[in-house]
Amino acid sequence: MSHQESQEMKSNNCQGLPSRMPDNTAFQQQQLPAWRPSLTARAVLPGFFTTGVFFLSMGILLILSAKSVKEIEITYTDICSNCSKLRENASNFYKECTCSISFFIPEKMPGNVYMYYKLYNFYQNYRRYIISRNNRQLLGEDITNVENCAPFQRVSNDIPIAPCGAIANSMFNDTILLSYYPNSSTRINVPLLSSDITWWTDKHVKFQNPKSSNLASAFAGTVKPPYWRKPVYQLDQGNPENNGFLNSDFIVWMRVAALPTFKKLYRRIHRIQQFADGLPAGNYSLDISYNFPVTLFKGEKGVVLSTVMWSGGKNFFLGIAYTTTGAVTWLAAFSMTAVHLKLKKKKAFFQC
Amino acid sequence: MFCGEKKLLETERRVKANDREFNEKFQYANNRIHTSKYNVLTFLPINLFEQFQRVANAYFLFLLILQLIPEISSLSWFTTIVPLVLVLTITAVKDATDDFFRHKSDNQVNNRLSEVLINGRLQSEKWMNVKAGDIIKLENNQFVAADLLLLSSSEPHGLCYIETAELDGETNLKVRHALPVTSELGADISRLAKFDGVVACEPPNNKLDKFTGELSWKDNKYPLSNEKIILRGCVLRNTSWCFGMVIFAGPDTKLMQNSGRTKFKRTSIDRLMNTLVLWIFGFLVCMGIILAIGNSIWEHQVGDYFQAFLFRDEVVKNPIFSGFLTFWSYVIILNTVVPISLYVSVEVIRLGHSHFINWDRKMYYSKKETLAEARTTTLNEELGQIEYVFSDKTGTLTQNIMTFNKCSINGRTYGEIYDNLGRKIEINEKTKSVDFSFNPQADSRFRFYDHSLIESIKLGDPKVHEFFRLLALCHTVMPEEKNEGKLIYQVQSPDEGALVTAARNFGFVFKSRTPETITIEEMGKVVTYQLLAFLDFNNIRKRMSVIVQNPEGQIKLYCKGADTILFEKLHPSNEELMTLTSDHLSEFGGEGLRTLAIAYRDLNEEYFTEWFKLLEEASRGLDMRDERIAAAYEEIERDMMLLGATAIEDKLQDGVIETIASLSLANIKIWVLTGDKQETAMNIGYSCNMLTDDMNEVFVISGQTAADVWEEFKKAKEILFERSTGFTNGYAFCEKLQELKLGSTVEETVTGDYALIINGHSLGYALEANLQNEFLEIACICKTVICCRVTPLQKAQVVELVKMHRKAVTLAIGDGANDISMIKSAHIGVGISGQEGMQAVLASDYSFAQFRYLQRLLLVHGRWSYFRMCKFLCYFFYKNFAFTLVHFWFGFFCGFSAQTVYDQWFITLFNIVYTSLPVLAMGIFDQDVSEQNSLDYPNLYGPGQLNLLFNKRKFFICIAHGVYTSFALFFIPYGVFYNVAGEDGKHITDYQSFAVTIATSLVIVVSVQVRQLQRAQDKATPLKSHKRQPRRTSSRRSGYAFAHQEGYGELITSGKNMRVKNLPTSGLGKTMYNSTSWIENLCKKTTDTVNSFSLDRTVKL
Repeated sequence: MSHQESQEMKSNNCQGLPSRMPDNTAFQQQQLPAWRPSLTARAVLPGFFTTGVFFLSMGILLILSAKSVKEIEITYTDICSNCSKLRENASNFYKECTCSISFFIPEKMPGNVYMYYKLYNFYQNYRRYIISRNNRQLLGEDITNVENCAPFQRVSNDIPIAPCGAIANSMFNDTILLSYYPNSSTRINVPLLSSDITWWTDKHVKFQNPKSSNLASAFAGTVKPPYWRKPVYQLDQGNPENNGFLNSDFIVWMRVAALPTFKKLYRRIHRIQQFADGLPAGNYSLDISYNFPVTLFKGEKGVVLSTVMWSGGKNFFLGIAYTTTGAVTWLAAFSMTAVHLKLKKKKAFFQC
Repeated sequence: MFCGEKKLLETERRVKANDREFNEKFQYANNRIHTSKYNVLTFLPINLFEQFQRVANAYFLFLLILQLIPEISSLSWFTTIVPLVLVLTITAVKDATDDFFRHKSDNQVNNRLSEVLINGRLQSEKWMNVKAGDIIKLENNQFVAADLLLLSSSEPHGLCYIETAELDGETNLKVRHALPVTSELGADISRLAKFDGVVACEPPNNKLDKFTGELSWKDNKYPLSNEKIILRGCVLRNTSWCFGMVIFAGPDTKLMQNSGRTKFKRTSIDRLMNTLVLWIFGFLVCMGIILAIGNSIWEHQVGDYFQAFLFRDEVVKNPIFSGFLTFWSYVIILNTVVPISLYVSVEVIRLGHSHFINWDRKMYYSKKETLAEARTTTLNEELGQIEYVFSDKTGTLTQNIMTFNKCSINGRTYGEIYDNLGRKIEINEKTKSVDFSFNPQADSRFRFYDHSLIESIKLGDPKVHEFFRLLALCHTVMPEEKNEGKLIYQVQSPDEGALVTAARNFGFVFKSRTPETITIEEMGKVVTYQLLAFLDFNNIRKRMSVIVQNPEGQIKLYCKGADTILFEKLHPSNEELMTLTSDHLSEFGGEGLRTLAIAYRDLNEEYFTEWFKLLEEASRGLDMRDERIAAAYEEIERDMMLLGATAIEDKLQDGVIETIASLSLANIKIWVLTGDKQETAMNIGYSCNMLTDDMNEVFVISGQTAADVWEEFKKAKEILFERSTGFTNGYAFCEKLQELKLGSTVEETVTGDYALIINGHSLGYALEANLQNEFLEIACICKTVICCRVTPLQKAQVVELVKMHRKAVTLAIGDGANDISMIKSAHIGVGISGQEGMQAVLASDYSFAQFRYLQRLLLVHGRWSYFRMCKFLCYFFYKNFAFTLVHFWFGFFCGFSAQTVYDQWFITLFNIVYTSLPVLAMGIFDQDVSEQNSLDYPNLYGPGQLNLLFNKRKFFICIAHGVYTSFALFFIPYGVFYNVAGEDGKHITDYQSFAVTIATSLVIVVSVQVRQLQRAQDKATPLKSHKRQPRRTSSRRSGYAFAHQEGYGELITSGKNMRVKNLPTSGLGKTMYNSTSWIENLCKKTTDTVNSFSLDRTVKL
């Protein structure tokens, strides 16, 4: 109907009006330039071979790199079984328990050496756990903001917990000291650094202490999480800068792990004196103040000492994945070449 | 359209003229029509209600409610509400605009003006205000506003002429005459205003050719029949005015009653999608259950001990209840397997395709400035799956223009032109036509190309003169001399008009007639003939004659009629001429021309007077009057001398033959459904090559009773199966017929070509439950099916029948109001636009000006749409499974706690932002084969009909692919992240890094995937070049295009599966010489992936 009307209008008015013919644009006429590749063997095969080469070489490099990483892991749940037992009972909360473990590093660990704590079967990725934190509070803007922190929001329903939430509450609180025995009588404490073990963004952006001259007063009106021994502003008595929400261990803990087995950076080996080139081979011992209960949920914990390469820690998976992909690509490429050559011959035969 | 919902079923209608008060008691519908669905107030509730009837929308609403429960909510509510509101709004806006246009068109119709007699005066009144009982004045060429009882007219005896093309597609004029008592009223307004007759008649119904009623006026009762009724949708012709009383108005009119209800059309992909969505829900529930059980077990074995760190609520502590909650949480998380944005994207893509149809210059008809128009934007991909096309004839296949094309006079044919070597020359626009300038009376539009005929006339060949004299005398045309002496013929049938116009141009001008005389101008000399008798045409006689006396006193009978009848009435001396002429006739007939044989008889006066007495006696007699008159006619119409034959071309629209041929190659069956006569319909069948002389058998079903029809079907079947057993064994043949749909190769084994022509009356029986299967079986074997004399409703019934029993996608195309019901009931309705009536267009889903654009609409636009949509859907399901199932895998590592892998905003925006553009671009622009190739190789249309590109199997492949990708996406990062540290020793195995890694890999993987699906449109191909050399470019096209060398289409239809000679060098294109194999290859290609790539993307992080 609209057609007819406008047509009538047109014929009435005159021919001067523009025609209703659609515009002749490439877009409207569906004639946009297009790339229509013809996937001939000649074009495709070189591509396959190159990708194959790339993947294979990447894979081999990664494997070599992972191989050169030195790593040593000491799980101490069983070794310190008396402490483990003790911690299963919550009434022993304030009882100290220490545990010492000696071990041997057969080869020198060159370069930077890192100390991690490793937890098994700890579900930091459990939904109710992972949401139980408040990023606003951690920004130091409003420390009484405990929204989303259930079930660790407030104590006796009015005083807010700082830092609130299940994550903060369950913070890993073992202390680990590493000693080196150059000979059977000498014991040297390996110097450990707790600085620079967090992500830069965490330390400088996501975590801030509330603005105040005195940390203790800044956290006034809040209480420590129930599982903590000390309030948040007293986490590191040796270094006043490393307290409050800016405590490195706290920040590391708060960056929740993706998988139930994980390791988190605990300390860096300070490269001074004997340790300037890393950890020399020899006898070592760990002195652990065992606070964190794991046997309760059939978990385990351990300490990992590791060097790193450009590709990170000791993980062969990526290298193997690359190598496999490269190999498969090559296999495909070879079989396609074979088919291609065979067909070509056949064709030549037919054409004769 | 809505038929007014009656509170009470009307059993009888009583209408009193000029008495609105009386009529108001009955609450008859007024003349306003509604085709719109909403008004401002009802829009929101109705539209929302409709939208939530969609399974998906309701589901999302349900999800939203779930998300508001804090115990369950694993995702924030905004992840659902943002897309949901978006979808609802977009759909609502679209529905609103659609309805707005319906309102507009309703208004336009409702606001047409007509002159109504109110309070004794004629007043202009809008159509919608006309009520039953009103008296309306109609003028020439006006549309009739409502169903009227004719009261009086300008013509003598209260006659009036109407054209019913809008109603039944017939173009010849029909006569209606008023009751003598009312026709006396004339145009006397005061008397008309006093007219207070009461009409009692049948309630509103949809029978166009029946009306029973009674008029009571002045203590007398007069029976009323269909002859007295003018229906809405007709056009008044050749009658300067008439008065009528409104009986049925608006929705009660027969036109509206015939138009059926608006049905919400959905594509088969839509329906499939709904099923699939349900399956996915099922799948979702399964996953939810698995994870919930996992959760219960985990809570029981691990979680209970872990709770020291969580202090979970008492309620949640119970592992079983926790599992229950987890189930719902996972339902929320995993809901993205049915992404709401799928529906948005599908709509956007369809909208894009519709615009491409609107913008297509090649479907623009410049003569009428008419664009192709996709009026419904939701059906595009169905255009790529059509198996049956139901076409109207008049105005759709034909232009509805009759031209005098050829003739045979005294054994010689005229009308063909030959060059010097005696070869026939194709007539085109450049061919020089005969110059009629010698004849001042000539109609300038008339074209004739054979100069020899005019020479014969000028030479004074008596037979030729007699031939045209006959044409000028023997007809029912009414002349009308307009100012400047210009003659206008008013014709009842366009055939006659063409013949009389031809005679006029060749110098035998029919000037005027009175009941007793006919005046013609013979080569410039005016001659008046006495019209002694007029032996009218009827369907049994199939001929008409006039008996005239020329000024010299010679009495002659001139007769024209169907050759079969006429040849029996010839004088024996005509034997030789008869064979010659009948040769010519079959020649003409073979070209699809409409032929008439022409003969005369010299009568002597005594014989005539004697006969005339006989006739008068017969017509005076009361009993057996008709038979006696017929006998009298028989008596005189004999021993005639054959003059020759005429051939009239019912001009086809441009390109109809090519289009039909091409569509048949694409395995699309075309059925013609016309309200026209059987002969006419068959003629058209021949002229569009749908019927050919090579056909083994043309079954004509024209039985008048159910038994006859059944008998005829039985015979037809016998012939069909007998014949075919001659070629193959009968059983195999039947089997193959069942599989007819499965591809062209099978069809070729049906060696015989059959056609079925069925009459409206017989069709009525054939459509009944007991015969419809027989009918369908035979009709589907036949290459061509023509149904003639069918009513609008029958058209729709035929379409419904095929739709129901064949499970095929149907398309109906037509131009008139009589096609509306068929257009509405077919999956896709196409209206021919740019003509007078717009009803068909308004009811249609697509409209364009010429039948030939159908080819482009189906083979190019439809095919592309289908391919794009299928690829899109496959991809989309793949993408979302790959996206969502990662959560499932992660569930095993997070204590089945319904923790998501990705950030919430990533989940919300994944489909809308991160991955929308590539897939939309593919869905809108992708061209797997260029348009030229799609047109050149109609067989490329096949996959759509067989529904190969998106079906349940394909869906499962996509799903499996998605599952695999999600598996890789989760477990490769898992392997990599297990026990790893950053290059600076810091821990990077945290949840956030893990989430970002997987999310990034996911986006990269699915985007690379789309590039594999898409033959992207981003580098230049010189498009012009393949216009110049289409064959060459086609030979270096992608895989399946390789197979199509020159003449491929023919090859495939010839049934010989030929090996393509030049195998392309790549392994991809091998042995794609048969249609199924390339289709399979096509299927395979789309599912090939680059997962090797995807696996290693994670390294980067």
